[in-house]
Amino acid sequence: MATDLLARYLPVALFAIFALLFPVGTFLATRFIRRDNPTPLKDLTYECGEVPEGEAMIQFHFQYYVFAIIFVVFDVAAIFLLLWALSFDATRATQVGFAAIVLFVAIMFAATNYALKKEEVLYI
Amino acid sequence: MSGHLIDLYGWSGALASFVLWLLSLPFELLNWIALQTGAQKPGPLVGFIDWLAGPDLTALVALIVAITIVLLWATAFHLLIIMWIERKMYSRLQDRRGIMIGLGSVEILRNTIGRIPILGAPFRRPSHLGTGFLQTVADGVKLFQKEVITPEKADKWMFHTAPVIIAASTLLLFVAIPWSDGFWLMGSIENGRPVNPLGILFILAAFSIAPLGILIAGWASNNKYTLIGGMRAAAQLMSYEIPMLLCIIALVVFAGTLDPFELVRKQTAPFSLGPVQISFLPNWYVFNPFLWIAFVVVFVTVIAEAERIPFDIPEAEAELVEGWTTEYSGMRFGIVFGFKWLRALAGAALISILFLGGWSGPVFATFMVPNMAAAGQMYPVPILPQEFWFTLRIYLIFVVFVWIGWSVPRVRIDQILNIGWKRLVPLSLLSILLAALARGAWWS
Repeated sequence: MATDLLARYLPVALFAIFALLFPVGTFLATRFIRRDNPTPLKDLTYECGEVPEGEAMIQFHFQYYVFAIIFVVFDVAAIFLLLWALSFDATRATQVGFAAIVLFVAIMFAATNYALKKEEVLYI
Repeated sequence: MSGHLIDLYGWSGALASFVLWLLSLPFELLNWIALQTGAQKPGPLVGFIDWLAGPDLTALVALIVAITIVLLWATAFHLLIIMWIERKMYSRLQDRRGIMIGLGSVEILRNTIGRIPILGAPFRRPSHLGTGFLQTVADGVKLFQKEVITPEKADKWMFHTAPVIIAASTLLLFVAIPWSDGFWLMGSIENGRPVNPLGILFILAAFSIAPLGILIAGWASNNKYTLIGGMRAAAQLMSYEIPMLLCIIALVVFAGTLDPFELVRKQTAPFSLGPVQISFLPNWYVFNPFLWIAFVVVFVTVIAEAERIPFDIPEAEAELVEGWTTEYSGMRFGIVFGFKWLRALAGAALISILFLGGWSGPVFATFMVPNMAAAGQMYPVPILPQEFWFTLRIYLIFVVFVWIGWSVPRVRIDQILNIGWKRLVPLSLLSILLAALARGAWWS
């Protein structure tokens, strides 16, 4: 079983290494072709030609966090729904099981709407 | 039912064993010389030669060759072509001709091959009559030579790591995307047929890594535009992943599998939905009325995942300069910007596999091709193989992307999030219920 898994996913592991090496290799290759000439003015943060003002690494709007939380909830819920869909057997589908899924989906729907209703204006 | 032309593992295996055999020849010679000069009978190098041309190393080299082929197939072939399609297509939509640089624009080619009487005709074309294909190549070469500017206030390590994460996760999509029954990397062969039970799930997982890289890029650049652009891009990509996943769940209720090969096999059969049987229509899921909502939602989410107009707020050049890519220059900009097309390509392939029958297509006539995996055998290949039909579908879907992209205005970020959470998520939940209801009502 372990060797079978290894045989099936070895291409993926090796491909992941190659996918990492591809951009790294490209960036290294440009090093031999391009010519860098950094000057203090060039290395300034770009703000449309003005001298940059203040800090950019600030505490960002809290609203962003709400979307991240809802995303996590849905991402976890989607796994359960996916398992249910994969094992969906129409010949043995019961009304209880279906009602449970409808209830589950309805709760998610209502909760999302409630969470987003509080965000009347979006600032992101 | 059409056959495949490219047998990736067979071809790369044959190439690998040939290359390793060539490599082992000098050592065979050395071994022979050693034997002639009085070494013991098997010779000192036999063990090394056996390892060099043996099955373990051959399999590894074959795998590396196969991976290289897939990487080049995606980045050096399809990426250039769809960039060219996009630029030509939107130029036509704006009633102009767009990029025109062709072979005739290259002076060396025009003065050498272009002088040949008949064959040199494409090389003699003046610059304003070219196909424009060389423009994308020229842009790539240009970006290679451009200076890389690292902002002084940037978080240097993170700033240079982010493009690697984005590019690597985008490339990782292509390990799980099969191009035909024979042109695939991830999977195995069971009962003579390729299977990959988790292929679609892997593609979705790989799609979801990019927001991390985009957030890092936006934050590490230490620029107000990149910060806002990165936050917006991450919020958008996260928001649109959910409806995509939910709609694929609706499809899975019908298909019962996440295996791309199995999905395509199911879609090659004649159309059948409960009591309805239509013999002249293929069983593509896009024809299933209970999945129409899911199809539309997946199409919209793929456009958003590829950060294309109308969902290209992350770029939004009117307000955020270049979004989260503002501070990148040279090849770093080229990679993060150009790989958006690769994501669009992967998204188009996903739509094709899920809803449009993947690589299935009619067979008109076949020719015989030697089977590389088993010497002496031949297998029939249609004149229009599966790879052709799949590529055709991908390009047509991409043309629709371009058509939509250059016909509608950009959507504001709060509207994007509202569309995602208040329209697409309820719609996709509805399509799950519809699919479950339809299947439960008809078969129970």
